[in-house]
Amino acid sequence: MFKNIYDWLDERLGLNDLYTNLLDRPEPKTTWWNTLGSASMFLFIMQGLTGIFLTVYYTPSPDHAYDSVQYIMEGVAFGWLIRGIHHWGATLMVVLVFVHMLRVFYTASFKFPRELTWLIGIGLFLTTLGMGFTGYLLPWNQKAYWATTVGTQIAGTAPFLGEFILKALRGGPDLSALTLQRFFSAHIWIIPAVLVGLMGIHLYLIIKHGESHFPTKED
Amino acid sequence: MNDETKQKINKRYERELDKGERFWPDTIFKDLITSLAIFLVLILLATFIGIPAEPKADPSDTSYIPRPEWYFLFLFKFLALYGQLPLIGKIEWIATVLIPGIAIGVLTLLPFIEKNPNRYYSKRILPISIMTVMVTGIVLLTLMSEVPTVSEDGSTLLGTLQTTVGIFIPLTAYILFAVFKSNTRLMLWTTSLAAVSMILISGTVLALAPEKKTEETEVATTLVDQIFAGQDLYSVYCTECHGDDGSVAVIQGVEGLEGEEITPINSRDVLYTITDSAMTEVIAYGRPNAGMTPFGKTYGGELTRSEIDYIVVFMRYMWDDRFEVPAEALKPLFPPLAQGEVPSYDVHIQPIVKRYCVSCHRAGKENNNYLMTSYEEILTTGDNVDKNIIAGDEGSYFLQVIQEHAIMNPEAPDEELIGVMPPNRALKSNIVEVFFRWIMSGMPKTAEEAGALSTTPTPTP
Repeated sequence: MFKNIYDWLDERLGLNDLYTNLLDRPEPKTTWWNTLGSASMFLFIMQGLTGIFLTVYYTPSPDHAYDSVQYIMEGVAFGWLIRGIHHWGATLMVVLVFVHMLRVFYTASFKFPRELTWLIGIGLFLTTLGMGFTGYLLPWNQKAYWATTVGTQIAGTAPFLGEFILKALRGGPDLSALTLQRFFSAHIWIIPAVLVGLMGIHLYLIIKHGESHFPTKED
Repeated sequence: MNDETKQKINKRYERELDKGERFWPDTIFKDLITSLAIFLVLILLATFIGIPAEPKADPSDTSYIPRPEWYFLFLFKFLALYGQLPLIGKIEWIATVLIPGIAIGVLTLLPFIEKNPNRYYSKRILPISIMTVMVTGIVLLTLMSEVPTVSEDGSTLLGTLQTTVGIFIPLTAYILFAVFKSNTRLMLWTTSLAAVSMILISGTVLALAPEKKTEETEVATTLVDQIFAGQDLYSVYCTECHGDDGSVAVIQGVEGLEGEEITPINSRDVLYTITDSAMTEVIAYGRPNAGMTPFGKTYGGELTRSEIDYIVVFMRYMWDDRFEVPAEALKPLFPPLAQGEVPSYDVHIQPIVKRYCVSCHRAGKENNNYLMTSYEEILTTGDNVDKNIIAGDEGSYFLQVIQEHAIMNPEAPDEELIGVMPPNRALKSNIVEVFFRWIMSGMPKTAEEAGALSTTPTPTP
């Protein structure tokens, strides 16, 4: 019975091919350091899931953002847990992605044939920082407001383009409802879309080339 | 890279694959364990550390020290240290844009900069050394981010040490790397020395750093807490004119506003017609034409956005009959006294004083310099009284005036030296009783001291 269903699905989806191509592959001996990339992906998925829950109650306007977050913490069942995971997940994700990058650097895994994987990886690192930067403002509390104020200010010191960057980030000369709105949009749509795209290519390249082996004197 | 090298690399990888593992289940199994561990860590962090409560964003609060997200702190610190350098320290964009830009650029293009196929560490000691010193610096600058560069006594020692860690040692190391780059052993020595000295100096900086003043910002998160916070703030800032229950229609005893007619703010007229945000604005901006001063920091007052919100919440739940006040918020101001029990400052007097007296008896108000914001202040006498609070003396002026007996000036019998307190309406008798017992028993501060003075009534035979 189950065999029949499986066969029917296999004919249409190519499950066996998927199994041989994706899962049943040889890999060099891996260490625990090799798990950091998949751990970062796991965190991204967690951030996505908890983030979706948070948008159910969150309101991206200066008048209501703070209160809606307060409501998530006090009024919603397990809201504190969901937001707690999202909050700490963000911190951990930055750490893990950074340590993952260091691992790749120290084992020189970015070398032939994995140069492109590294390039995409840098993109993933920067988008992760972007997620952190945009997400930090959303609770609209003192810490968030002033961190974004200095963050955008620093970006605004660039020669020539500084003022344009500052105004583009803030949606005007000062932090306002517009800033919150565009940070929210960037945080839940624009940056995640870019991140998912880059992650897809990153994964494809990893499967294509396999994980790199730990370098020895021979290398 | 020629085809021969590429083939060699591929062959080498084939050999590793032969003595390797299977992606499924070996590699995936390890990945899953790590992810599971991270999941558990997240749950523990969310449950036991949680997220610190923060007050609402307040653009007008210029006293707030802005700090970026923690993973940008090193950059922030680097900017501060860089700014101290002579000459180039003034060109801000070198540190904010150029240096980070170059760092990210080099990092991105790494595979095209380090083109040799060598992967073993001793064969690529230069990049490894640079990266190690840089990462050590990033971590240490993050740790030192809260240490000021100039101490309170004006000494710049901490700043110099931090600049040594953040700029001078790394710079020296990079220059030495360029010289030693063909000698693996020297490179390792330089890297270790640089890293160790950076760590040691940072340790010194952290040990010398002035203790961090943790500013306790109380954030009322639950509705009951917000009502209480609002009530306290209302008592301090609003009672003087509006009365403790908002019912005042003609202001009395307030200099400059004597006899001013106002709408009682606990009336339906006000509560039903003014929305929360309009009420917030009125409190923040005041009503200049009616004599109400601005209270919001934005307009030169003392209250933050969050604090004004609490006052509005308090007014709604206490006075607006469309809102149901939570039973918990209605608990009495102080626990009722048993027979023979002596009240203490901490438990009884403080909440009463805060509700009924501090509104006028605080700095910056007309009160003959008699302040009541702390235990010590209450025991002082103010400007023109010497017998204000005397332990065990019924004639203490304090007790006289709260019992509606004004103190007359002995030199000019028609002139009031101290009027009755509070000026507009008498305190309830149970509150007067608390003050009376407190002063008669010697003004104990803590509940323990009061307990020692209490007499348990002896049952009459």
